[in-house]
Amino acid sequence: MMAHPVPHHTTDKKRVKVYELRNNDWFDRGTGFCTAQFVPVQENQPKEPRVIVESEDHPDRLLLETKIVKDDGFQKQQDTLIVWTENNVDMALSFQEAEGCAMIWKFIDGVQQTFHNVLGGADDSLSEDLPMDLSTSTFTLPPADLANLPDLENVMRQMSNTANGREVLVKSIMEHDILSSLGNLVDMAEDVESLDDLFRLCNMTKTMLLLNDTAIIEKAVSDDCVLGVVGALEYDPDFPKHKANHRQWLSNQTRFKEVVKIEDDNIRRKIQQTFRLLYLKDVVLARILDDPTFSVLNSLIFFNQVDIINHIQTNGGFLNDLFSIFADPSAQHLRKKQAVTFLHDCCAIAKNLQPPARQNLYTNFLGHGLIRVINFGLRDHDVTVRVHATDILVAMIDHDPQMVRHTIYRQLQERQKPLTDVIIDLLLVEVDLGVKSQMQDALRILLDVAPIMPPDAREYPPNQQRLRQLQTTDPQQELLIQHFYETSAARLFKPLLELEGQTDLKFQPMQEYIFGYLNDILCSFIRQHQHRAKYFLITHSLAQRFVQLLSCKQKHLQLVAIRFIKQLVLMNDEFYMKHIAEKQILGPILDVLLRAITRDNLLCSACLDLFVLINKENVKDLIKHLVENYREKIMALSHMDTFREIVSRYDQTEGYTTNPEYFMDEDEEEGPTAAESERRPTRPTAGLMEEQLAVDQAQEEYWNSVSDEEDEAPQNGPHRTNGTTATLPLLKPLVEYGSDEEDGVAGDEPAAQEKKGGEDSSAKENGEPLVTSTKGGPAAAAAVAATPPERISEKRRREEDEDDDAFDKLLHSKRRGSNASAAHASADIRKKMGISGDGDGVTDGAAPAPTPSSADAAAEENGTSTTAESTSPAPTFSPAAAATAALSTPKKIAFNISSKVKSMLGGGNPSEPKAESTTSAEEKGKATTTSTIGKENVRIAEEGAETTSNSVVEEEDDPDAMKD
Amino acid sequence: MSDLDRAIAQLRACRPIPESDVRELCHKAREILIEEGNVVTVNAPVTICGDIHGQFHDLMELFRVGGDPPDTNYLFMGDFVDRGFYSLETFLLLLCLKVRYPDRMTLIRGNHESRQITTVYGFYDECYRKYGSANVWRYCCDVFDYLALGAIVLGASNTISPSAGESSIPTTPEGDEVEIEVCNAQGEVMSRFPRPTKGTNNDLQSRTNGIPPPSNTGPPGSGASGSSRGTVGNPAGAVLCVHGGLSPLIDKVDKIRLLDRKQEVPHEGAMCDLLWSDPDEIDGWGLSPRGAGFLFGADIVKVFNHRNDLSLIARAHQLVMEGFKEMFDASIVTVWSAPNYCYRCGNVAALLELSEDDSGWGVLARSNGDVNRSDGGGGGLGDSDPQPMKGPARRYRVFQAAPQDSRGMPAKKPVADYFL
Repeated sequence: MMAHPVPHHTTDKKRVKVYELRNNDWFDRGTGFCTAQFVPVQENQPKEPRVIVESEDHPDRLLLETKIVKDDGFQKQQDTLIVWTENNVDMALSFQEAEGCAMIWKFIDGVQQTFHNVLGGADDSLSEDLPMDLSTSTFTLPPADLANLPDLENVMRQMSNTANGREVLVKSIMEHDILSSLGNLVDMAEDVESLDDLFRLCNMTKTMLLLNDTAIIEKAVSDDCVLGVVGALEYDPDFPKHKANHRQWLSNQTRFKEVVKIEDDNIRRKIQQTFRLLYLKDVVLARILDDPTFSVLNSLIFFNQVDIINHIQTNGGFLNDLFSIFADPSAQHLRKKQAVTFLHDCCAIAKNLQPPARQNLYTNFLGHGLIRVINFGLRDHDVTVRVHATDILVAMIDHDPQMVRHTIYRQLQERQKPLTDVIIDLLLVEVDLGVKSQMQDALRILLDVAPIMPPDAREYPPNQQRLRQLQTTDPQQELLIQHFYETSAARLFKPLLELEGQTDLKFQPMQEYIFGYLNDILCSFIRQHQHRAKYFLITHSLAQRFVQLLSCKQKHLQLVAIRFIKQLVLMNDEFYMKHIAEKQILGPILDVLLRAITRDNLLCSACLDLFVLINKENVKDLIKHLVENYREKIMALSHMDTFREIVSRYDQTEGYTTNPEYFMDEDEEEGPTAAESERRPTRPTAGLMEEQLAVDQAQEEYWNSVSDEEDEAPQNGPHRTNGTTATLPLLKPLVEYGSDEEDGVAGDEPAAQEKKGGEDSSAKENGEPLVTSTKGGPAAAAAVAATPPERISEKRRREEDEDDDAFDKLLHSKRRGSNASAAHASADIRKKMGISGDGDGVTDGAAPAPTPSSADAAAEENGTSTTAESTSPAPTFSPAAAATAALSTPKKIAFNISSKVKSMLGGGNPSEPKAESTTSAEEKGKATTTSTIGKENVRIAEEGAETTSNSVVEEEDDPDAMKD
Repeated sequence: MSDLDRAIAQLRACRPIPESDVRELCHKAREILIEEGNVVTVNAPVTICGDIHGQFHDLMELFRVGGDPPDTNYLFMGDFVDRGFYSLETFLLLLCLKVRYPDRMTLIRGNHESRQITTVYGFYDECYRKYGSANVWRYCCDVFDYLALGAIVLGASNTISPSAGESSIPTTPEGDEVEIEVCNAQGEVMSRFPRPTKGTNNDLQSRTNGIPPPSNTGPPGSGASGSSRGTVGNPAGAVLCVHGGLSPLIDKVDKIRLLDRKQEVPHEGAMCDLLWSDPDEIDGWGLSPRGAGFLFGADIVKVFNHRNDLSLIARAHQLVMEGFKEMFDASIVTVWSAPNYCYRCGNVAALLELSEDDSGWGVLARSNGDVNRSDGGGGGLGDSDPQPMKGPARRYRVFQAAPQDSRGMPAKKPVADYFL
């Protein structure tokens, strides 16, 4: 353990300051270079180990020469400090570089070990744990004047390298009140135009702020320091040619607007401080902020804001003054505008608060007449006012849509114009696209009050669950929707309705946007409002109106139409399928596709997507309709698998038995089969028919009650049934598996069931062999499923991890909530699909089982669709994400989960067995989604007991089941 | 057009354009993008770039190194926004260039081109800050929905073209054909790697020890099983460019064309996977730690490339300290174009140049690519092709972050008036 000191002149690694403790104060003995070596003292004596510091300025002078003796108790503290006691005087060496310190320490340590005759060696970490003299004593910073700046900067930089050093530094900065002297120093340096000093000041200031000490930062933004601090930061040595104008910006006192005088000085000061903190965070320090300082700033801001908001909402007089501005006809417009902005800022801040505090604030505001403010704001001619009013509204809806709905309900009771109508008016005429799109979202959420399933007990905490159950029985919602469809819907969709009869479609650019929004709204209503939406759609022939858009020149409008039709198909609702077929809606889309097919553009992809969906889902009504009516067009596209299959599906009249690939695929889908059957709106066969019957009656009652022109549905029924039964005889011979009791049931039921029976039975017929054939495969499938893919979760780089976090934040309940086996299973499935793809290349097309592309499945399942997501703004999240947020009490991402989304999640699980015990309204809701492809039903029946056990598992896995 | 040029000039100076201009721009961009397929066909020569992440000044550096846009054809593989301080200027400039030179700029979508992600990672805040409302963010997000999901580069040469201004090219040992050339920001050749003879894997290991090491991580032997067929006969070397990677749901490039891409990036499914997946040293598919997309191994890439007659997959999505990284016997490459990522990662960036094939095969390939759309991208290429197997020659230009000086203060615009 011999140290070989390196000549110091070549390097300043051993540059060191020597301190001595005098009168409880660290006295600076000077700066020099440190060596440690064995020095011969006297002849015939062994060499003595010594630590020597030669002065930097006068190389001949020794600042320190100390012999290393046993009792001096040398300690290394942090990376750059060595302290010991010499003749009862505390001494310290503060190294500029940790490396130099380490070299010297190695020597000292070695010597000490020989003294103590210890083999183990000193433990650095141990020495760090020893009590630190420095932190208790005061450490002298050179006086803050221009002459000392280099020293000051140096000391600060060195001290800030170690934890203890930082502590000491913070203390002495506060004691010496360096921050207050910055202003003077900057002024002086500016006067003498000493750029170097200004740069030093900037560096020092950065160092001080990045100590991330709350006291320092608070001091820095205080009235008497802030200008000095930001003044110093104007001269950043990283950008030597630039000078910022922070002082000018911050010293402009008029930036602070007080609509109503805030009496409390303390609060007023807090508001100003918060502004400065935000300015520091976003502007001055934006580039150099490290994570700890960032969070210190953020928490300071947060606590200030909590205080401010709390003060405002508990100050009744203040609120009265504020809201009375809007009641006062003589009040200037500017003042009203500012009041809106003030409220807007309140709501923006409230987004960061804890939900109860936010709830208080909104309740308070609503009590004082916030709705009136919004009404005023939304109608204002000044676009910024509208934007702010919109933001307030959206913030409230994000917080709790039920609260806003309740308010609207009260408006209805009081015969006032409901907020929804105001929104509709604005949506139709608004020119600011941001406002427009937010209005669209607001409307969608407010009217999203479809009857929902009782919540899954596991998914929601008890209190929310209770809330949701209340919602399901809330008659207010019914009233709201009823009012909307009776009086407002036609007005909302007027732009669409006006298309009727028009042949030459030309729009102003501003007009075009409305169709996209209306599409989003309508798609959401179709998913949520069940029979009401159906009725509205039929009576106003909305599908045909969308089809009209296909003939206009703008491709994005054609896209809108295609997406609407896709939504109808996604509903997998017999009623809509028949409507599509009857109104010949797919024909024009085929035409669009035929026109676009040579172009390979987005339009083409969107059309293909639709037909792939129809084919994959095996929507028999539509396939039949397509081939019967447009065989030639489809044949023209038959170079694509999808269309070839559509034709062959029809031609073979469900030729399941002939396709060998089919069996393979079915095996592979063993996994998802169970999952899907559970996810889909299905139920045990036993209860199936009666239930549907009951539902139909309920539905019919509605139709009858609403209007007399409801002939459509009954008309459709028989017509359709005839169509399908006609194919039955053809079917029978093809299906050779036949002898199961299912046959009998299937055969009898069409007779018993007037409307849907036929369809279902044919589906059963088809489905049955399907299941039978499957039985060959489970072993193989299970074998594959037994080997989970290896889990690779390590070794991601840092920022990628952040990405992960992002997604996890958005999604994590999905992963976390699922158990491992589900995750594995789903991954397995994916894996298998990939492999099968390798093998034959006919994978997806040939699989008759409805394995929707996962996105579609998810959409279907949640009652939402990707369509909706595509245009929703940030705060509205897809259900998965929203649920995640809900479950994990998000604090960083302020994505407010609307209970709407939650309800969608809940409602999207219509296959739960316990659904039987729900109210009739819910039954109605379910029924429409239930009339899905019958095959799934059959599979359930076939698998009998399995299914029930599966269903339990599946419920647990539900979030993850979406994965496939 | 002059409006557009003015906007380009203003954005090049890193100054945002007015909101109304953004709306106009996005409107025009939409008209152009709607005509693009989900997989855009691009002809060599083209310069392929990875993530930019709002590092505007580094984008300028990229243009300096790679050549200015109208003169060089660019293909950007997504992630234009978030994290950096100039997402807005970056994306708008790229969009302007796209609108101005639609055939010379290709933009495909990255996982950050999404409403959800941009709300969390900075683009939303930046727009809000710079315009005082989220409208510009909305316009941009609408455009995101129209961005293509991938691109196929056809007609790339399998020999390195002499780089401009570089006359004294040192010959490679035994006069071998150069497959990979790595240049620095000044255009000086830093290293060269000859094409391996008859695809021996040992060679692959040795030839990638350049500076900076491209760290070809294809483990010896691991990918060998499928590799022999990996690049069979594709003279022009069709290159698939996609932001993330492959999807278990997509076995053929043509399947990508069946997606209705105009939507928010979903949480799962093919579209999500294309934007989120990563290659990894595994067999088959694995769960991605990102929570979206998958991990896929060498075997997957080999089979996919073979089936689709691809010689290479170029993707971005992962930070690579050396700027680029070839994996799995050079069947897939990660290109990363954000130097000193987040202003602190200390990495270098790279762009990938594919030069034009002079032999004329490119022309043929181009028409094939269109006609056989439903038969698998360049599906027809391989059959009619007499040429021996050769991947495209690749020139990587490695560059560092723009000097601090030219960066300017990355401060956000402060709120003018405040009430609270």
